[in-house]
Amino acid sequence: MTDTHMIEAEVNGKRRKLAAPSRKLLSDFIREDLGLTGTHVGCEHGVCGACTILLDGRPVRSCLMFAPQADGARIETIESLAQDGDDLHPVQRAFWEHHGLQCGFCTPGMVLTAKAFLEEVPHPTEAQIRAAISGNVCRCTGYVFIVEAIQAAGKTMADGARTRE
Amino acid sequence: MNKPTVDLADAVARPRLLGAAIKRREDPKFLTGRARYVDDLQLPRMLHASFVRSPMAHADIVSVDVSAAAARMGVHAVFTGADIAASAKPFVCDSLHPSWQSAGYPPVASERVRFVGEAVAVVVADDRYLAEDAGELVSVRYAERPVVASIAAAVAEGAPKVHDSWTDNLYVKRHFREGDPDAAFANAHGVVRLDLNTHRQAGIPLETRGCVADYDSRDQLLTVWTSSQTPHLVRTGLADTLQIPEHRIRVVAPDVGGGFGIKCHLFPEEVVVAVLAMKTHRPVKWIEDRQEHFLASIHSREHQHHVELAYAEDGMVIGLRAKIYVDCGAYSMWPWTSTMDTGMALGILPGPYQIRNYECEAYSVATNKCPHGAYRGVARPAACFSIERGMDEVAHRVGISRVEVRRRNLVQPEQFPYESVTGLIYDSGSFVESLDRVCEMGDYKAMLEEQKKARAEGRWVGIGIACYTEQTAHATQEFVQRYVPIVPGFEAALVRMDPSGFVTVHMSTHSHGQGHETTMAQLVADKLTLPVENVRVVLGDTAATPYGHGTFASRSAVLGGGACVQAASKLRDKLIRFAAEHLESDPGDLELVDGRVVVKGAPTRGISISEMARWAYHRPEKLPAGMEPSLEAVAAYDAPPGLGTFANAAHLALIEVDPDLGKIELLRYVVVEDCGQMINPLIVKGQVHGGVAQGIGGALLEELIYDDQGQLTTSTFMDYLLPGSTDIPNIEVGHLESPSPFTVEGIKGMGEGGTIAPGPALASALADALSPLGHVEVNELPLTAERVRWIMRKARAASQA
Repeated sequence: MTDTHMIEAEVNGKRRKLAAPSRKLLSDFIREDLGLTGTHVGCEHGVCGACTILLDGRPVRSCLMFAPQADGARIETIESLAQDGDDLHPVQRAFWEHHGLQCGFCTPGMVLTAKAFLEEVPHPTEAQIRAAISGNVCRCTGYVFIVEAIQAAGKTMADGARTRE
Repeated sequence: MNKPTVDLADAVARPRLLGAAIKRREDPKFLTGRARYVDDLQLPRMLHASFVRSPMAHADIVSVDVSAAAARMGVHAVFTGADIAASAKPFVCDSLHPSWQSAGYPPVASERVRFVGEAVAVVVADDRYLAEDAGELVSVRYAERPVVASIAAAVAEGAPKVHDSWTDNLYVKRHFREGDPDAAFANAHGVVRLDLNTHRQAGIPLETRGCVADYDSRDQLLTVWTSSQTPHLVRTGLADTLQIPEHRIRVVAPDVGGGFGIKCHLFPEEVVVAVLAMKTHRPVKWIEDRQEHFLASIHSREHQHHVELAYAEDGMVIGLRAKIYVDCGAYSMWPWTSTMDTGMALGILPGPYQIRNYECEAYSVATNKCPHGAYRGVARPAACFSIERGMDEVAHRVGISRVEVRRRNLVQPEQFPYESVTGLIYDSGSFVESLDRVCEMGDYKAMLEEQKKARAEGRWVGIGIACYTEQTAHATQEFVQRYVPIVPGFEAALVRMDPSGFVTVHMSTHSHGQGHETTMAQLVADKLTLPVENVRVVLGDTAATPYGHGTFASRSAVLGGGACVQAASKLRDKLIRFAAEHLESDPGDLELVDGRVVVKGAPTRGISISEMARWAYHRPEKLPAGMEPSLEAVAAYDAPPGLGTFANAAHLALIEVDPDLGKIELLRYVVVEDCGQMINPLIVKGQVHGGVAQGIGGALLEELIYDDQGQLTTSTFMDYLLPGSTDIPNIEVGHLESPSPFTVEGIKGMGEGGTIAPGPALASALADALSPLGHVEVNELPLTAERVRWIMRKARAASQA
């Protein structure tokens, strides 16, 4: 039960190699061993979405995985997006502009889910946005401003992509 | 950077920050994952605690064997209730009401357990995984007792007692009578009688509870970091239970991931973790898991109301009688007591209506369930549900519309300030106007058309309406009348200008999503005519903030904000007196403009605040004779008359019911709210959205279900359903502003309001949607699919009969 495994992964663009017990949750590994406390744990049974990270580019619930399962993977946490308030990702900026957060606990998971979604669906409808974040619980905002923020971020990201073309 | 000097000839008066929808200054830390919640804290040498909890709802503890757990590798200590009792007293939170029956809540049970989830032992180990492993090895033998798991079971003749020394299972029995209800009922055109139930629910912040304690024996200082709305109250509670003077305790509530009232209590775990840190001489962390949160934190909302409304021929409600029962669970929570919901429901049941004859009995009932405490809205969702269902019923009986019955009964614009039948002073408001406005905004007539069309297509569409007034920021007088032992009458702020001329505001209130780092800075920056960036707000640390009670009961904007404004005003006055010396003017001829004290009418004659700030600390010889060096001011504010200031709103819902699934879909949800002078409309709107979403969850989805043996059958997010993004519509919000004549800047509280009306609005809409089946009573919340189907079956059977 307390066997340890070496885990080698790309974490926010850097190679990391650390040992973890086989039963350690990926969410705990990220928070305690990698020191990335922006990933939050709200339920530990895979419903609330607060612990969402991007694993090989796709949103996953880190509380539903064991750390050794991430061996060889590419992990992106909220800390990968911006260092401070000056270089925010368009999704983060839109959440700020549109008051898409209150207590902030669900925010990292919500932002990462939205980012991955907008990269896949650049011009979403409101219904698509609501469906995309339906696995992330926010207890504070009633989702109205989160949906607005994701709409606005989608526009900014699409405009940015057009400018680059 | 400080504001650059401007050519004063071209200067325009700075737009007031009060009322400005600026974006929140605290957001970047949350957006980048750099906020610091209690579980983010890692201290050197820190150990981890896990609680062993009772699987029995009511039992005597025969024995507790911790030997196997204690022998486990990585385990530092295992403590039983008896071990903890040697260091910490039970919480005793007694109401001062004469009928009160008292019961202590031991931090860890040693003789008897009274609800499933009550702690019976605690393990301290190297990490949480090991602590939980060891917890499973603690062997507890119980002797079962009969269980009371509902109000009906608790008040039944010969019911088993939750607390042996009591005469029955009632914490408190209250009675209120005003006017002449007997005459009103005798003269009534008709009487509506309703039995209404709102089931058990909870606030469910996304961040569970948790704390870290560290005892520094060198300084004899206990530091407790805890996810709390009320750090100062927690400090007092710890001091009382641990018998340590308060100056030897520091409580820090860092960023808090949602509170909703749940986190404004003292919890057994906070006391125990403090004891563990002192006993092990190591920092100790405990983070609640979600199941523990469901079982053993705070529940709310479990009310049964029996209501009678006497009405006149024109639909005016002339008398109200009520019996109120609240299932308060096994213990009285510190510091509010188990009287909170009953007292609040009793006081506010008449709502925004002109009801002059009122009689009410209210009972707080003890059961073998998790203790009942504060959750956003406290009692008002149930009280509003009762009176609003009553109003709909009166409208139906006298044959007028649901809007009209309210328009007639509401307190009218010319009646403010209005003293309610229970002695509450409704200071100002837009009760009628908000109703009219919500009908305009929602286009009520178009909704009726849409309903007509839908019905022709065989669709079940309904319109619902509900009004309320929310008592906010209640202070000394209200809490005295509630018989609580601790009267949280005021909040405090310290405003300190440093030698650079920048300002730090230290507040007794806390923020767990409400954006106080922004709104409080707006208020202070306005008073000192500084840019908002020059004001920093410090919250949540008893070592850094003046004593106050914290954030709950929609009070922070009014009481915390009022304290900020008053402290900043004192500082402004000092700056003006200081400047008067140098400008050789009378202080009355001076004013603050854009960070300078200037002569009124001659703005080029002035002196900058930043220059005076430097002098106040480094050139005290420049101070006027007798003026103290330094620039700081403190104020504590208890808003008159102490009964609160009253916000109001009207909610309008358009729903469609799926008759096969019993699912209610919200087509539109429209709110017109009035919280007086707004500080930041963006934040107000966000609070309304969030409150309404919680209210919709409470109206349709959320229910904590105990079986008759006191087992909670809904202890995960798979069976206690929180509203998700596809359950909540695009809530439309309109604002009216009726400033309070009593409070600083006319501000009213508003944080809880949104949660109050969705229950009655959606019940009203459901009854309306089902009206083709005949007159349907919807008297129970939440309206889960199962309950909707049951209501439909009952209505069909009745229409066929």
